[in-house]
Amino acid sequence: MKVRFWGVRGSFATPGPHYLRYGGNTPAVEITNDAGRRVLIDLGTGVTELAKQLMLGEFGEGRGTLPVLLTHTHLDHIQGLPFFTPFFIKGNKIQIHGAALTGLPLAAVLQNQLNGHYSPLYGLENLAAGVAVEAIEPGATSLSVEGFEVSAATLPHGGTWVLGFRFEADGKTLAYLSDVEYPVEGPTPEALALARGADLLIHDAMFSDAEYESRAGWGHSPVSSAISVAERSGVGKVALFHHSPDSTDAEIDTIVADARRRTSISLVAAAEGPAIEI
Amino acid sequence: MGYNRAEMQVTFWGVRGSYPVPGPDTVRYGGHTSCVEVRSDDGGCLIMDAGTGLRALGQKLAAEQAAHSAWHYHVVLSHVHWDHIQGLPFFQPAYMPGTRISIYALRAAADELQQVISGITRHEFFPVTLQAVPADFEFHEVLPGRQLSIDDFEIRPVALNHPFGAVGYRINADGTSLSYISDTAPFTGLLHKQHFLAGPEEASDDDRKVLAGMREGLVNTLRGCDTVIFDTQFLPEEFEKFPHWGHSTPDHALDLVKGLGIRRLVLYHHAPGHSDKVMDTIEDTYRRKGNDLGIQVVVARERMTLQVGQVTDPGVGP
Repeated sequence: MKVRFWGVRGSFATPGPHYLRYGGNTPAVEITNDAGRRVLIDLGTGVTELAKQLMLGEFGEGRGTLPVLLTHTHLDHIQGLPFFTPFFIKGNKIQIHGAALTGLPLAAVLQNQLNGHYSPLYGLENLAAGVAVEAIEPGATSLSVEGFEVSAATLPHGGTWVLGFRFEADGKTLAYLSDVEYPVEGPTPEALALARGADLLIHDAMFSDAEYESRAGWGHSPVSSAISVAERSGVGKVALFHHSPDSTDAEIDTIVADARRRTSISLVAAAEGPAIEI
Repeated sequence: MGYNRAEMQVTFWGVRGSYPVPGPDTVRYGGHTSCVEVRSDDGGCLIMDAGTGLRALGQKLAAEQAAHSAWHYHVVLSHVHWDHIQGLPFFQPAYMPGTRISIYALRAAADELQQVISGITRHEFFPVTLQAVPADFEFHEVLPGRQLSIDDFEIRPVALNHPFGAVGYRINADGTSLSYISDTAPFTGLLHKQHFLAGPEEASDDDRKVLAGMREGLVNTLRGCDTVIFDTQFLPEEFEKFPHWGHSTPDHALDLVKGLGIRRLVLYHHAPGHSDKVMDTIEDTYRRKGNDLGIQVVVARERMTLQVGQVTDPGVGP
């Protein structure tokens, strides 16, 4: 199983010279199994770069199949949707799995995103590939995604909640827990269950512990939460994710160096770049 | 006319169209979407569009605001496609008590403007709704042809040719003038309305009349303007492929502004795929084409400030 980070930045894209090594695109992560089956998590701006690569292959000919899992629909996790060019090619099969955060169904939320005021696409129905939206019911559940064993569970995110995911394939396990803030008593059982024994845990670490003090309640984790989940779940490696738009490359370097001193678990900060073998 | 102090000045906080593009290929021209700050001689401030460039502008303004109180910002929108509004929820002064924010936008459909703007911070999209932030918001409907006065700016809105409708603005202040023309397709070919275009659509005779009227309105608005910022997203070969996407080329812009006594044309709303290298080529090509027409062509770059008005500006771009 391989993972490729196309977008690792939280909340807001960060172009500019101080964000080149970790990358400035908002969340988009591609997971590929050994047989070449892929699944995409989140549709942040990072998907615009993935799209360019996909269009060179079967997606450019309308023969691509892609399951997409959405943690939630805050803008930084869906803002790449209108620019994901495989949607524009008839024949591609793209299925979006996600949950409704409010009473509004997921398809209606995405429809609002593409309404004529906000987008020249005027609605999901104008994406030539068509978009199949699969609702995920809140609560721990398993999903059918070809080539992977996938389970999903809800995680607290400020005043709302998101989905976390666990992927198993080729004897390896990856957990994706982004946009999560635990109660003061610590990580929730759902989070620990998703991460249990994972070879790689991708975890929200938007803030350093010092920054977090003034940002409690914003729905994001301090680095210590990522470490805590990693240690309590016995993961092989943890990738800090959803970096603050105010963290420059140098600041992320510092966050990583500090974090490494506090745990014996292998730890990196997620960065845009080539695929990584798990 | 101003004399030795700068007259109006304009600073570019986001110059990109469609979506923000981080990465090594956009470092010099910038990757943030549309947002421009306009300042008059005595400190009046207009914010033209609220794309992702607005976040950094907001951080600057919040730092200035900390020393004062009861600030009033004027955010003037060309239209409400995402690339022109997505910075708004990240505008730091909105979270400071005492801030007033007036939003000016074209009413492009029967929906109330307030509803449309509030729609971008629905709970599905953003944790904090516009109604819940400390700042007071006011909404002002813009009508092409109906002049607005904001602080010491006299502003004339003009209709543009863009999906669902967009509006450009000529801004007069300090005895000089600046125009902000984004987003627009050229005024030949097709007329954008309020439905999806899968491909180019043939213009009817009525459409052609509307387009000719739009063009005339824009030409009359721009005549004699010092500096014109123009949506020039596409290169000609790209426009050939996407003539129905609602954007122009630098050639369209030059063709429209030539002979109108315009001193300077600023190329703006760059395609997300145009790397710094491509932008260098565009600058080179169109500077020369501009010279032939007696128009100074400048390519917008993030954080670039231009003085508007001929008296104090030697006419050198950065």
